[in-house]
Amino acid sequence: MEFKKLPPVKEQLMKCVRCGKCRSVCPVFAEVGIETTAPRGHVFMVQMLRDGKVEPTNEVYERLGQCLLCETCSVNCPSGIDVHELNAAARSYIYENNPSAGKELLFDTLWTRPGMLRSSARVMSTVQRLGLQTLARKTGLTKILPGDLKEAEQMMDNIPSKSARSTLPEINPARGEKKYKLGYFLGCGTDLFSPSAATAAVDVLTRNGCEVIIPKDMKCCGLPHIANGKMETAQKLAAHNIKVFNAYDFDYIITDCASCSSALSRNNMEFLLAGLKIEDEALALSEKVMDLTVFLIDVLDLKIPVNKTAPKLRVTYHDPCHLANAQLIKNQPRELLSRIPGVELIEMKAANTCCGGSGTYSTTHYEMSMKILDKKMDHAMATGADILATCCPSCMMQLNYGCKRNNWEAEVLHPVELLSRYYRNN
Amino acid sequence: MENSKLKQELVKLLGKDKVLTEELDLMYYSYDSSFLTKLEPVQPNAVVFPKSTEDVQKVVEFAYEHQVNIVPRGAGTGETGGCIAVQGGIVLDLSTWNEIIEIDVKNMQVIVSPGVIHAELNNELAKHNLFFPPDPGSSLMCTVGGMVANNASGLRAVKYWATEPYILGLEVVMPNGDVIVTGGMKARCIKNVSGINLTKLMVGSEGILGIVTRIRLRCFPKPKARGIAMAVFDNLDDAPEAVMDVYQAGILPSGIEILDSSAIKAVNDFKPEIKLPDAEAILLFEVDGNPPSVEYEGNVIREVTGRRARTVEWATEPKRMAELWEGRSVTAAASARVRPDGSRIFAGEDISVPISRVADTLRALRDLADQHGIQIVNYGHIGDGNVHTAPVINPEIPEEVEKVIKFVDEVHLLAIEMNGSTTGEHGVGAVRRPYAELEHGKAVDYMRKIKEAFDPAGIMNPGKVF
Repeated sequence: MEFKKLPPVKEQLMKCVRCGKCRSVCPVFAEVGIETTAPRGHVFMVQMLRDGKVEPTNEVYERLGQCLLCETCSVNCPSGIDVHELNAAARSYIYENNPSAGKELLFDTLWTRPGMLRSSARVMSTVQRLGLQTLARKTGLTKILPGDLKEAEQMMDNIPSKSARSTLPEINPARGEKKYKLGYFLGCGTDLFSPSAATAAVDVLTRNGCEVIIPKDMKCCGLPHIANGKMETAQKLAAHNIKVFNAYDFDYIITDCASCSSALSRNNMEFLLAGLKIEDEALALSEKVMDLTVFLIDVLDLKIPVNKTAPKLRVTYHDPCHLANAQLIKNQPRELLSRIPGVELIEMKAANTCCGGSGTYSTTHYEMSMKILDKKMDHAMATGADILATCCPSCMMQLNYGCKRNNWEAEVLHPVELLSRYYRNN
Repeated sequence: MENSKLKQELVKLLGKDKVLTEELDLMYYSYDSSFLTKLEPVQPNAVVFPKSTEDVQKVVEFAYEHQVNIVPRGAGTGETGGCIAVQGGIVLDLSTWNEIIEIDVKNMQVIVSPGVIHAELNNELAKHNLFFPPDPGSSLMCTVGGMVANNASGLRAVKYWATEPYILGLEVVMPNGDVIVTGGMKARCIKNVSGINLTKLMVGSEGILGIVTRIRLRCFPKPKARGIAMAVFDNLDDAPEAVMDVYQAGILPSGIEILDSSAIKAVNDFKPEIKLPDAEAILLFEVDGNPPSVEYEGNVIREVTGRRARTVEWATEPKRMAELWEGRSVTAAASARVRPDGSRIFAGEDISVPISRVADTLRALRDLADQHGIQIVNYGHIGDGNVHTAPVINPEIPEEVEKVIKFVDEVHLLAIEMNGSTTGEHGVGAVRRPYAELEHGKAVDYMRKIKEAFDPAGIMNPGKVF
């Protein structure tokens, strides 16, 4: 759909009264403090784009690109503006006017082909000792990503050698009586960077009477594409995934990744696919999509057998933005952690403030990402926890790096990994 | 002076990090919360980020020498275009200079730079059992410097009044670059009637007389207890009467707020968890003090308002109080929710009338809105007669804009007719200048004389106030 006709652009721009409440909640603004980074400033700039007062140039993209798309402003906006959607729509509009071969290679060729993406990760894993910078130079990657790979390479120094999909079967039968047939939306982040979370998810679900199917043809949820101005590719990915998942008769479609569930949510589908024919089918899919912790608590109401000798674990929880802001899910992950015997949940200050990871943001805006991460780590470390839990592979990668930067020995895990460990040890 | 040359000179003065050098970035300083800048954003010629008195002084001296306008700006949350360079010039964004310089607990005062956020100041003061009582709805984002410039007040003005009584002294960079200290150069006293009260003159002068670079604020002991009564009325006319009843019963609440039916709907749409009841009007009474007095005052308010109200809820539980108070503080922006294809606008939003005429004013506002075919949301600080009217229009439809401009003009005239003022706390800025003569008569001449004495070159925030 044409930029100017997109629903948020058409209906929401005029609602911004520039009250400035977003200045008080934006993690990037908190670091920079000037109006060019304020969410209301982004809304204003999108309006200028729509009205033709500024041209869709890379300079405008650069300013809008400072936003994490963490949705903190959107969820706090008194006027109900989806600031992140306006920003993403504008990025896409600008990209269409300024296509880049590098981005097309990364987001259209590589990131739309799961096999190729996994192969790349394997290559990266094996050449880690050489350092990503060397690889990036050799492959020309440095020309593709606008960020500073020299620094960002340190974040990816521990890519698992095997992806989750290479070890998990497509069909995982329920153990015991089958209660639900689940589709598992195994996102790229979990697949490549946190395969142990995927293994744990399948373990916990099958133990609790769920048949878990990982459709082999599924592709990326498209969120990285939306964030990087590739809306059209995101639409194609969504259409593909809708077809793949709707072909089954799943009771629920589960994902352990906050970003994937937000990408597949009704809100995002309505935004992404506005005016396209597949909208109804998309909403049928969205109705079944559920975060793993919500399924375990709200649907299964999981009862975990108590072993009083279970080791005591001090756990703190970081709210992923795509769960807490995009889907208002805060309680279920905490509830799940609290139900695991031995776990003592310690709240960190500002648990629902962004960690600065935000998918590709840590690569494209390394310095800013680290400033935001350091604040997060200060709060996390102050809890003295043994485990830093969260429900998003992108956050996990960022927080792992935060632990490394701060020489903090806490383990970063998805809550389901803790649960799976408990099951296996008891 | 050409923009590029101007920016080069400013970079020489302050360094690159304190000057916006990209033309595109200047656009972000073309708006505040006013309807004026929503319709017509006005870009400055340059933006700088001073971090010291010396920085401000350098910019002002340069501007004075070269006859360039200078416009101070806080968080840009004002509703009058006050921080906009409507006649061009350099905007000084003081919000990044946010330093709590000293909390003088023994003398019950605090010294801050202008960019400190109101809520953050109170968070720090709370550690010393102190607080700075004025409570603007924009507490989370507005700067103390902005509050001084506009003599802001807000939700607790009934008992604690506005910013001005708390300002003990100011450091001001004058339009020629002189630096003065008002309220006594070395003073740390609270009472002070020595000399002409320049502090009082500066507070609320909206940046047309000088740039405030340091603020000495009086703090109060933080009350130990607080309670909020919510009285629900089926008849709008009963609400102002109930306010009078409470005063007559000898109670001075810290705040008394009104939300009419449209404001209630807006808040419930935005924050459904607050669960405000459907009604013609809701009054929120806040009382604070020591626990026994809060309990006593709460009981009196319940009894007195209960004679007219359908129900009265008394809350002392922190979570519920926070919900009720937040419901009120977000009404301003949440007003847009009453119309899916509309937006509230900040225009004619701040009239102040005698308490005895609030009911008449609310009725007159409704009549005016009906005459012009404008949807409005009414809320405000009924305890001191400050009525906030939020017209909700689609600002992208020219006919609606034309209609609302006429409506807003009549709202301002109504305020003067009701023996009130066109603005109770938001200020005049660029938008209410046309009413200066009507409101103040010959006194405006003397305001101009003061301005000329302070700023003979006329470079300080021109196009504002009168």
